[in-house]
Amino acid sequence: MRSLIGALVRRQTLGSSSVTARLQSSGRVGASFANCGNENHRFCSSASNCPRCSKNHFLRAFHHFPSGSPRPSTSELKSGSLAKFGGSGISSSLNLSPWSVLGTSFPSRGISTAGSSDAPTSQDSSIPFDDVPPRIKFKRMDKTARNIMQILNREAVEEVRTQREVPDIRPGYIVQLKVEVPENKRRLSTVKGIVIARRNAGINTTFRIRRQVAGVGVESLFMLYSPNIKEVKILDKKKVRRAKLYYLREKMNALSK
Amino acid sequence: MIQPQTRLNVADNSGARELMCIRIIGTSNRRYAHIGDVIVAVIKEAIPNSPLEKSEVIRAVIVRTCKELKRNNGMKIRYDDNAAVVIDQEGNPKGTRIFGAIARELRQLNFTKIVSLAPEVL
Repeated sequence: MRSLIGALVRRQTLGSSSVTARLQSSGRVGASFANCGNENHRFCSSASNCPRCSKNHFLRAFHHFPSGSPRPSTSELKSGSLAKFGGSGISSSLNLSPWSVLGTSFPSRGISTAGSSDAPTSQDSSIPFDDVPPRIKFKRMDKTARNIMQILNREAVEEVRTQREVPDIRPGYIVQLKVEVPENKRRLSTVKGIVIARRNAGINTTFRIRRQVAGVGVESLFMLYSPNIKEVKILDKKKVRRAKLYYLREKMNALSK
Repeated sequence: MIQPQTRLNVADNSGARELMCIRIIGTSNRRYAHIGDVIVAVIKEAIPNSPLEKSEVIRAVIVRTCKELKRNNGMKIRYDDNAAVVIDQEGNPKGTRIFGAIARELRQLNFTKIVSLAPEVL
């Protein structure tokens, strides 16, 4: 997790340095982005947020970005969209993510919608300025960092779901699992019982199964997305009016109707 | 979480029916015993005409607890009762049959004879 935050910070600084390098090389920006558009703040640095006017300096820089200048091929798609924004004069409340500038190839964690669709590449430089470009939303990185655990959790769950079919398990279902035990490498053990509880926690979603083993009642708690669970088969669904069936611990044959 | 004064069922055919824990073997001043720990127990109830009698002090290994046993893969196992198997000084069970399910962790603790006699290893 710390490495991810470090990567976020590193990418932000990387983005700023590469943006300023590219803008300076184009030769037309010059001192125009050295100030933040406000006469009082002449000495703001260009690569960081000005503390006084609290505007993101990336926006100011992109406002002056020439649309006709040659763009590097890696960020061609992003620069095209940015040029459109510069031309139509969208207000400075639009926060541009530095990741989009780099044209990164790692999976976009919902940072911008430009990376996922193919539409911007087709309308690269042939759009006239009075044509409204498709709205491309950029998510603010500090807001994303707040719910990064939620995003990571969701991604991990989707990854497991695409690999393996995980059926819906609810309390009251009679299920049969095939569990792989690390010690018993040659065969899978079958676990058959009634689901008495389910706890939703993203990738750590667990469910409890109650069963009778050799005359003794046993409750086992399994992780739903564990790779050790090879197969889940739902045998029956009992009607229950509760989410947690802990009352079955005292009763015998309570649900056999 | 077995502590002194806890009553345990006996999971084998050694002759005892119910044990009461007196002491936990291991580090000094240990509070609770879990699955796989050896305890000193006194027999509270025994089958008539068996080699073990009531109020005899013996050693036993805990095989089932109502407190869940946690595994590294996130799995937890919880039994419906507390049970122990009567053993001798070396760790061999005194009985010849084991009743009920036994957890896999006993194999790593060198109670292989108990695990091999068990009808079901969880």
